[in-house]
Amino acid sequence: MLTIDFGPNGVVVIAGRLDAAQSPAAQAFLDQVQGTVTLDCGRLEYISSAGLGVLLKTQKRLMGSAGKLRLSGVNRHLQDIFVYSGFDKIFEIEPAP
Amino acid sequence: MTSYRTFRRSFDSIQDIFAFTAEVFASEHIDPSLLPSVDVTVEELFTNMVKYTASTAAVRIDMTKLAGGVEVTLTDYDVGPFDVTQAPDVDIDRPIEQREPGGLGLHLIRRLVDCVHYEYSAESRQSRITFRKTQAGAPTSDRGTVAGSADAHD
Repeated sequence: MLTIDFGPNGVVVIAGRLDAAQSPAAQAFLDQVQGTVTLDCGRLEYISSAGLGVLLKTQKRLMGSAGKLRLSGVNRHLQDIFVYSGFDKIFEIEPAP
Repeated sequence: MTSYRTFRRSFDSIQDIFAFTAEVFASEHIDPSLLPSVDVTVEELFTNMVKYTASTAAVRIDMTKLAGGVEVTLTDYDVGPFDVTQAPDVDIDRPIEQREPGGLGLHLIRRLVDCVHYEYSAESRQSRITFRKTQAGAPTSDRGTVAGSADAHD
């Protein structure tokens, strides 16, 4: 199960599991955002390569128009996945406190 | 004890697969910190089967508790050979303009689990992919061990 929506101050809040079954819904939402966007991952429990594809596609589109996607509240599991996939080099990542 | 279940070859089965892995972890008292890596690895292998094979047969998943961890086998029926252990790594140092998401799944599992073993039987047209995840073998940023084998080829 995954939810994604705008939170306070234009932050996008994503929660649940970003797997292959849920990625199309996340992509459809993120295709609408513009500029520099913070994705609050504090309640995102899980991500697989399908979810990484969503983030990568969004980052490439936003950077093409001088924006970017920032990731905040990233838990240990997500951090490991981001490091193994090299995403720590292409995203600004703020770990969970 | 080994627990197993079969799953329809569809992305819609992913939630049921996660429910199964969580159920086995709970009933067998397997370290829950290993579950995210097991789930990612099962998802990547299962979705690879859904996307790249023409079979309509269900996929069987077996889980066996080990000392300090778990062994998982995915069996795919009525398929040709595809050795996932031979898939090339992704160059993660490329600039974002040159990055594509393809191939990341198999790249990831080598880093998430202790070892991955592939077997193919041409006689029965079955492929079996087995991996282990243990506390002792939990990698940091190193690759896990990979091995492929086939008793015959199509």
